[in-house]
Amino acid sequence: MRPILAMAALVAALVVPEAQAQKVIRVWHTETQPNSQQAMRNIAARFEAKNPGVKVELEALAWTDLEGKIMASLAAGTPPELSHGQPITCTALQSKGLLLPLDDVVKALGEDNIFDQIKRVCRVEGKQYGLVHAAGTSLLIYRKDLVRKLGLKPPKTWADLVANAKALARPGMYGITIPGDNLFINILLGELIASNGGMLFDKSNRPQVTSKQMVETLEFLKELTRYAPPGWEGHGYRETFTNLYGQKAAMMFQGYGRGASLIEANAPKDMANADFFDVWVKPHGPSGKAPVAQVDEEPWMLFKGARNTREAIEFLKFFYQKDNYLEYIQTVPIHFFPITKSMRGDRDYQSTPMIQRWKGWLDAQEHYLSRDLGRPTLVVDWADMNNKPYLMEVLGSGILRDMVMDVLLENKAPKEATGRAQRRLEDLLKSKGYLK
Amino acid sequence: MNQGRAGWLLVLPALLLLCALTVYPVAYGIWISFFNKHSFFPEQSFIGFANYLAVFADEEFWQALRLGLVYSASTIALQLVLGVGAALLLNEAFAGRALVRAVAIFPYVIPTVVAVIVWKWLLNSQFGLVNHLLGSPISWMGRDWIMVSLIVVSVWQFFPFVLLAVLARLQTIPQDLYDAAKVDGAGALRRFIDVTLPQLAGVLFVVVLLRSIWMFTKFDTPWLMIQGGGAETYIRTLPIYTYLRTFGYYEAGRGSAMAVLMFLMLVAAAALYFRLWRREEQL
Repeated sequence: MRPILAMAALVAALVVPEAQAQKVIRVWHTETQPNSQQAMRNIAARFEAKNPGVKVELEALAWTDLEGKIMASLAAGTPPELSHGQPITCTALQSKGLLLPLDDVVKALGEDNIFDQIKRVCRVEGKQYGLVHAAGTSLLIYRKDLVRKLGLKPPKTWADLVANAKALARPGMYGITIPGDNLFINILLGELIASNGGMLFDKSNRPQVTSKQMVETLEFLKELTRYAPPGWEGHGYRETFTNLYGQKAAMMFQGYGRGASLIEANAPKDMANADFFDVWVKPHGPSGKAPVAQVDEEPWMLFKGARNTREAIEFLKFFYQKDNYLEYIQTVPIHFFPITKSMRGDRDYQSTPMIQRWKGWLDAQEHYLSRDLGRPTLVVDWADMNNKPYLMEVLGSGILRDMVMDVLLENKAPKEATGRAQRRLEDLLKSKGYLK
Repeated sequence: MNQGRAGWLLVLPALLLLCALTVYPVAYGIWISFFNKHSFFPEQSFIGFANYLAVFADEEFWQALRLGLVYSASTIALQLVLGVGAALLLNEAFAGRALVRAVAIFPYVIPTVVAVIVWKWLLNSQFGLVNHLLGSPISWMGRDWIMVSLIVVSVWQFFPFVLLAVLARLQTIPQDLYDAAKVDGAGALRRFIDVTLPQLAGVLFVVVLLRSIWMFTKFDTPWLMIQGGGAETYIRTLPIYTYLRTFGYYEAGRGSAMAVLMFLMLVAAAALYFRLWRREEQL
């Protein structure tokens, strides 16, 4: 018996103190691309080396799993220290008092050094509850060679875009391709209604989907999708991109900078460059004055219920340090637009080979970001960010997608489809207590 | 300790497990169907039968029920036809039968996620093999065809279950019955109708019951069909809509009410099925 007890005591002496001393920072992120995951692992390893007793546990999650996992961890009382999330998720969680501010990280980066657009994401009463890891706007990608051949001009208005789609369409080549799944239709609709001077909800939370601007938006989409591949409603984002680089479509309305890597990897070798696939600034609607692009900008969120929040803040500061942040951004350089002006102007960053090759794509993103023409998903006005914590439910419900499909596929009159969506949205908001 | 008490003590662990893993979750699901409850935030208020009334008034619910019935009825019918047909073939003696039998159950043993990904690539409207062979660009994941695609994938995946059950029963039918029928002058069709089918009735009764329950509550196949594309609205069956209500709208109470209704529908359908078809001597 005695030897067993002695052995147990020895094991306890060796193992338990170390386990107790070790502080774990759990980090959930949505960058599942292998090189991005490797960059995160490298950064975590360097942080651990500098901070003995602290361990960073990274988990890369698919987008579709993230929200549910965050919510489940909150329900169980075991949230991670840090996680990515949609801006509207950040707002929803902040409104429930579940997040801690990241102001120390903002200070470390230099408040003036961060693009204003980035600071507007999940900022409540002067406190930054979500800090974007990198931003990337949606892009209107087109086949430059075909456009040149036909002598087409960049579209300023939706009517111009429809005309271009019509001109580019020919047997075996569709004029445009757009994804039809719920997330992307929501992104698209938020973008278009903002580009047409409309809104989704008014200040009293009343849905505004029966507005003239929305009807115009639906009519535009109906016209535009006449030149999309049949069955576009069943295409996901990757399939849409395949249509573009697979030479089945001449334009893609909801592209992102990440797609430059897809083009380089999959388009025919002599075409896999910006001379064949370029971007235009998006057009605006008949009732709007300027285009608005959705910004894919997931903020880091720090959870109040987590154990090691102080260490998590230190990790985030470390993440944004020049060498670490540069390594991370260079894994998807055309989509990870840096959040700081210093990095944007940095010589090492600028000399990234892929940035040199796809410069126009980054310039287009800067056009939106520097002119305040970029918005997170479903955020039409910046005030929506904090005043409408129900956008997460609106997105999840699929009501807006159903409205679009009612008009585009079921041939319902926009008035009928918007009326139905209006009723459903009102029911949703009433059941949540946001609308009386 | 008397024998009765000892007996209770022996079954106690199993009872506790049953309560923890089955009774409690089901009871909790029924309980929260009477609340306006957020799926994750600790917010809830008692609202009695309001969730049930809202479900009955919800046109999406009835549409989902209709789609679910179309999906389950057609897949069950096709699985039966294909499964019984394949079992009859594989019950005959021919060279390589063992290999064909092994290959025939292949769809049933591969993970659903793999099956669906493979089928989605085959059915891709622009680059898929099926359209290439057909020579026409059918949008299999679009509005008009996605239900057909879902049915095809589901039947392909699940007909081996029918095949296995029926083949096992076919192998136990006494040869004497067929010999006697032959002596009476019965042809192949007559023998199938008068000998084989009555002998299969018992196993088909169980197979139809199980497959009906499984297809009506089938979630993974339709769900995977609409991940990363796929015209979701047109295959939004009841389990998908229940999930959407619970994790899209974040309405756990309403989602639970729908799940309870789905359960009651199945109980009612099973009771009716037993009443109409049960023949003790065949089971």
